[in-house]
Amino acid sequence: MNETSNKQTQELWQSQPVEGIKISADVIRRRAGKFERRIYWRNIREYASSLVAAIFFAYFFATTHIVLFRIAYALFIAGLAWVVFQLHRQGSAKSMPGAMGTLTCLQFFRAELERQREVVANVWSWYLAPLVPGFVAITAASVIARPYPAGLVAATVLDAFVAVVFLLVLKMNRRAVRCLQRMIDELSAAENQPQSGERMQPTT
Amino acid sequence: MADYLTVSTIQTIPAAGPTQDELYQDAARNYGAALERLARAYEAHPEIRRDLLQDIHVALWRSFAGFDGRCSTRTWMYRVAHNVGASHVLLQRRTRSQTLVGLEELENLPDATSGQPAADRTQALDRLLSLIQHLKPLDRHVILSYLEGLDAAEIGEITGLSPGNVATKIHRIKAVLAHQFQHGVHNS
Repeated sequence: MNETSNKQTQELWQSQPVEGIKISADVIRRRAGKFERRIYWRNIREYASSLVAAIFFAYFFATTHIVLFRIAYALFIAGLAWVVFQLHRQGSAKSMPGAMGTLTCLQFFRAELERQREVVANVWSWYLAPLVPGFVAITAASVIARPYPAGLVAATVLDAFVAVVFLLVLKMNRRAVRCLQRMIDELSAAENQPQSGERMQPTT
Repeated sequence: MADYLTVSTIQTIPAAGPTQDELYQDAARNYGAALERLARAYEAHPEIRRDLLQDIHVALWRSFAGFDGRCSTRTWMYRVAHNVGASHVLLQRRTRSQTLVGLEELENLPDATSGQPAADRTQALDRLLSLIQHLKPLDRHVILSYLEGLDAAEIGEITGLSPGNVATKIHRIKAVLAHQFQHGVHNS
């Protein structure tokens, strides 16, 4: 009875009406090109936003006469350059569709999850940490170069704001890493399950 | 003086295999409907589903540039399509807060509609789709492959699961489907 029911469910699934969408190879080629362009422009946008921030810091660097502030702005520009370099490196390391047919679903899915986990887990080292020297230098510059207590207050407010943002990002990332790790562990358990088991007997 | 090839030399030259375009067109012609059903299982929204289906076709066409014939085109096609589907599910997880469950949880999940007869085929199909769309990607691969009529060996080749693991999952799928649909499908 169950087997008959399952056959009918298979038949129900396979006989469902489909639109019969046909896509010619030319359309596919065009869409593949569009996909490449989308990735290209997304990268350009990321680089451009870093460039805009760098231009601002370069302007401040050129207009200030206080050496400590100049050092701080230079450190920010160097930090942004490092972030852009890392973005470029990680973007080009993404899995290519060519590998999709050679990898089993388990291998592909785990590789995707591991890649995401690495990116999220390392956000601190490649995205946040490079900007820390700039913040430290600008704090020192504000305290030393500006009159007391205005400089100290401005530096404290800025640092407190940055610290809260950094902590929130870290907390969210740790949660995401835990979630991704749980999914990876589940896949590893599925892969390592023994070849035979007590539930292998047929249902009929 | 021109060099001529001998017959034995010509025989050793491998025949040119099908091109990337030919492989793709062949797969699209033979499995186009299966790909549509698969896209339906990965995305409920019609417009996003259409985009997903096109992404699957693009990935398939691109993948055939590296097709080495070590598995059948059918296995290759399902691997690519499921892998695109899994990427889509991962991407959607960030924007939608939908909780996905495994087959084990689905077996024990109380469902208001389970065992209730579906009024017609459309309703039964909707219920089946809803059930599939709530599954975690790997379990979704297995249930879809099962519904498409693939055998355990092929499902193992596509998913990378051991034969024992595939058998366990199919056992659970059969139990879940029987529980959810034995009345509905009969009546429809």
